[in-house]
Amino acid sequence: MINSEYLKPADLQEALKFAHQFAGRARFAAGCTNILPDIHSGKLKECVLIDISDLKELMGISREDNFISLGSMTTIQELLNSEIIRNEAPVLWEAASRFADPVVRNRATVGGNLAYGSPASDMSVPLLVLDAIVCLQSKEKGIREIPLRDFFTGPGKTVLSPSEIIVKLKFQSLPDFKFYYAKFGKRNAMAISVASLAVGARLGKTIDEARIALGALAPTPVRAWKTEEFLKGKRIESKVLEEASELLLSEINPISDIRASREYRLELARSMFFRALNQITS
Amino acid sequence: MELKVIGKGVPKYDAWGKAKGEVIYADDFSMPGMLYGKVFRSSLPRAKILGINTSKAENLPGVHAVITYKDVPRNNLRARFGQGTEIGAQFEGLYRVLAEGEVRYYGEPIALIAAETPETAEKACDLIEVQYEPLPGVFDPLEAMQPDAPQIGEKQNNIASHFKIRKGDVEKGFSQSEVIVEGFYQVGYQDHAYLEPESGVAWVEDDGTIVIRVSSQVIEHFREVAEVLDLPHSKVRYIGTLIGGGFGGKEDITVESYLALLAWKTRRPVKLTYTRKESLLVHSKRHPYYMYYKTGASREGKILAVQAKLVSDAGSYAALSPWVLLYSTVDAVGPYNVENVKVDAYTVMTNTPITSAFRGFGAPQVNLAYESQMNELAKKLNMDPMELRRKNYLKQGETLASGYVYDRQVPLDLLAQKAWEALGPRKESTKPHTKIGRGLAVGMCSYGRLTFLHDTSRSYVRLELDGSALIRCGVPDVGGGQGHILAQIVSEELGVPLNLIKLHVTDSQLTPLAGTTTATRQLYMSGNATLKACRELKQRMLKKAAQLLGVKEEDLEVGEGRVFMRSDPSKYVALVPLINRMSGDGEELFVEAQFNAPFSDVPATEIIEGRTHPDFTFGAYAVEVEVDEGTGKVELRKIVGAFDVGKALNPILVEGQIEGGAVQGVGYALFEEMPIKEGIIQTPSLQEYLVPTSVDVPDVEPILVESGTGLGPYGAKGIGEPPIVGIAPAILNAIDDAVGVRITSLPATSEKVLMALKSLKRSK
Amino acid sequence: MTNLQVVTILVNGRPISAPVEAHESLLDFLRNKAGAVEVKCGCNQGDCGTCTVLFQGKAVKSCLVLALQAGGKEVKTIKGFAGDPLMEQLQESFVRNGAIQCGFCTPGMLITSYAFLQANPSPTREEIRTAISGNLCRCTGYKKIIDAIEEIAMKRSEKGPFRPSPSTYSEGQEEAKGNYLLLGGG
Repeated sequence: MINSEYLKPADLQEALKFAHQFAGRARFAAGCTNILPDIHSGKLKECVLIDISDLKELMGISREDNFISLGSMTTIQELLNSEIIRNEAPVLWEAASRFADPVVRNRATVGGNLAYGSPASDMSVPLLVLDAIVCLQSKEKGIREIPLRDFFTGPGKTVLSPSEIIVKLKFQSLPDFKFYYAKFGKRNAMAISVASLAVGARLGKTIDEARIALGALAPTPVRAWKTEEFLKGKRIESKVLEEASELLLSEINPISDIRASREYRLELARSMFFRALNQITS
Repeated sequence: MELKVIGKGVPKYDAWGKAKGEVIYADDFSMPGMLYGKVFRSSLPRAKILGINTSKAENLPGVHAVITYKDVPRNNLRARFGQGTEIGAQFEGLYRVLAEGEVRYYGEPIALIAAETPETAEKACDLIEVQYEPLPGVFDPLEAMQPDAPQIGEKQNNIASHFKIRKGDVEKGFSQSEVIVEGFYQVGYQDHAYLEPESGVAWVEDDGTIVIRVSSQVIEHFREVAEVLDLPHSKVRYIGTLIGGGFGGKEDITVESYLALLAWKTRRPVKLTYTRKESLLVHSKRHPYYMYYKTGASREGKILAVQAKLVSDAGSYAALSPWVLLYSTVDAVGPYNVENVKVDAYTVMTNTPITSAFRGFGAPQVNLAYESQMNELAKKLNMDPMELRRKNYLKQGETLASGYVYDRQVPLDLLAQKAWEALGPRKESTKPHTKIGRGLAVGMCSYGRLTFLHDTSRSYVRLELDGSALIRCGVPDVGGGQGHILAQIVSEELGVPLNLIKLHVTDSQLTPLAGTTTATRQLYMSGNATLKACRELKQRMLKKAAQLLGVKEEDLEVGEGRVFMRSDPSKYVALVPLINRMSGDGEELFVEAQFNAPFSDVPATEIIEGRTHPDFTFGAYAVEVEVDEGTGKVELRKIVGAFDVGKALNPILVEGQIEGGAVQGVGYALFEEMPIKEGIIQTPSLQEYLVPTSVDVPDVEPILVESGTGLGPYGAKGIGEPPIVGIAPAILNAIDDAVGVRITSLPATSEKVLMALKSLKRSK
Repeated sequence: MTNLQVVTILVNGRPISAPVEAHESLLDFLRNKAGAVEVKCGCNQGDCGTCTVLFQGKAVKSCLVLALQAGGKEVKTIKGFAGDPLMEQLQESFVRNGAIQCGFCTPGMLITSYAFLQANPSPTREEIRTAISGNLCRCTGYKKIIDAIEEIAMKRSEKGPFRPSPSTYSEGQEEAKGNYLLLGGG
């Protein structure tokens, strides 16, 4: 039996008030593309559903100083429809185009995808490469900004406190970076990532800066810091790539599950990484 | 004579209703005072039931009934099929309604609940207490075959059936073979994954008749349900709905016995619909098979001997496992002429969910093996795979492995060539990390049920006084146009425009029983029955018209709303006046006709010999794939399926079967995996059990060849199941062509392909 | 015990009010409270697309929307398009092109197609294929569904007569007849 309640806050402040009041049982209901399946499967039995789907404060894609700002209620389809995202954050746009399926994209939100904390979160990977900052708010802690790289703490776990909401994210567009994104799933649509990879690189005669993010390959989505550091200042040659890929594999820790074995995921990470670097530097 | 309606891709009569959302499927139907049913299921794969306490559930407000095996008048039945013939003493056909004393599989039904809301029914489930004594289960048929394996069924031996082919002398054949290829193949479960879960509503009428409105491929099950309730057959009526996908998964009794029991106990209408999770976990599936093959051939490429050992997983209740095994046995060698054949096929009980009918019914599994063997043999002989097949195709007049002389055309060479040619000029991959490959496979698949089941079908056609027509036929419609095609036949034969024909289908009491919508038999059987009825009616019309016009019957023709003289169309009688005249003269304007398939005897021994099926449909697939060597992913670039359909009564419907069957076969070959651990299926959702989406497949190109040699109306062959036979080995052969790895188990997931590629690299 | 709240949703232009539980989905509401059984339930998990409806003008899987989220808002099911020329054209095209077998995916598939064509007046065949990738079909293999949508897309964008992709039989398609072979006799 499911014990549920529904509340519709008139604005963000009221939403935060409700979240505080019911901390622990409160769930922000946006696109509900995770909440409802969890309720139907019995994973979520007790919840106070705080409907944020009409809160204007959480919507919109805009520019703030030299940051691009995404309201947490931005749907994946809105990302795809946005000229700003298409032109200035193509790695995010790519990931959005591979997310779930076109119908789910009309409802799933960026904030929801991050808050759910899946290690396979499709939005986290490009946003990590973009070094996004997540803006959180709650009654207890007020407003705080957390770099996305510090946001995930374990499978299904984030730094979000029980009454905290993601208000928006922001990142700088990186016009002098070249990007690559790949998602590998067991089929071409409606597929949970088996492995996903985003790479951004600023190239001169060598790799001036590299950013590598991986999904579904560790307890959380991760940045491959050591590999990034290693690649800095190096020319792209097969020896460098070999060494970099070895380092990369040491920075992830995939599991074996119903979708794939650990061994296969390591292979995928390697292949995808090679492809990414070859493509970016070509 | 040119056909006017037959051969045209006219839209189905049910298409508009479906497009408008007006069709009432099983779960869409409700009745006043209706209760909601739920099945309480076992949480262990094998256990003794020491006690069941339903009192808390019964006392929950809103619960109207909780039923266990004690409340079922006849809880155990021997499974029957249509005409009620069983095969031999070793066939275990136990149909057990609710668990009695033991559970044999995870999810086995233990109790039934009827309550005022679905939530209450679910809550009641949680209140049922079962005392189990867990027992060690056996989950693999090879293990279960061992002499010391625990007894799962009623027989000491878990082997539910063993069939054999003994043709010629395989030892001699192998000794003469210059090349021998051995292969071990393994295929797992496939779930029908129809989009409509199992569902129905039942109620009791004022005279005590139980009516079950249900999504079912077999309305003749009213007999079994009646026996479960210890009622006369005449007191149970099935109203079949338009089915939201069947594929064999709604062929056995699914929800009907439960519905009947709950309705009968509560005297209220009851609805029962499975959740998707329930359906995936417990409903019947395609049989996993282990297949060992040994093929011997001469250096010139003539196959001299085939030996096969097949072991299928019969699940914990045999259901249709012996029949499926029989089909596999008959099809084990494929559409090839082989003099020496030895097949031993076993279906073995395990503590897993039920395995039963699924499109192809044992043919796809062996097809995977024999068509993989062909390509491996071609490699060893350094011969083109098409050439090798050409040297061995069965020809008209030659015998199948069962010794049955196949007396019709076998245009396999043409089909294979046409399919292959349609792939077009070969292009190399433009990407550095992929390779393109092509594969061919042929297949044979029976249509019509086993001939020893003495299959029959009936259809009723009536002319109305205004020239419209009524068809009543018990045919269940799974979406392939099983009902619609009858209207096309009537329209052609009697000259009644399609839009004036009313079809009334799938009622076990109000429509003549047409038999199961299974075994690719409906066009053949109810089509022929309808044709027969039409021709009888037509004769009466011609006779009367001849009288009226003062001419000979042979000079007359029916068409365009009239009966006219062939040589002088200005001499005619319009249909409406003719019909009214016939009516006034006391003539019967209706015919109910029965069509009988060929009858044979029940096999006397385990050795399968002679005729087993009315006929077979032959087909060929040519596939082009692109394999990513870094990830193992197989992308399908082209799929061509060429089939001898005999005659395409409605080409659009025929194409639809090929296109849909090919994609379902792609799922089987590449995506659909259902791992089972300790008897529990690990993929209880459509997010884990992956069927192809639109972006996982290319457009399938169907090629229709019409030999006119089918046993169906106008020379048609059956086409419902055949398209799932051949596609999987074609894909595996294409993968081999692309990257040189022979995958021997399904599905060929990208992980499997990559690991095989790595193995290959290491061994070089 | 959970609290019941009354919600009013505009279903096909009509306000329907009913008490619902907080976690009840829009799909539950439509089928059980609004009598809109034309919206199908294939999985109740968002994995099949049979429950697709038009919600505030967008195609959504109604099993993934809370009924209470739809309060005061517009929902259109397949029965809500009477007189809509695009939907009627799509339906006719589906019917004529053999895009409907068992029909269970059809209402959802039509709504997804409708919404897609409205937003994408001139799509390629591949774009159409992608557009329906969230709607499963187990019967047709998708080809005739894509044919049906493409035909309407081409008509609307005046791209010329529709040519279905290779297959053996289409009335009036001369070149297709080559694949359609009569063997005769036997």
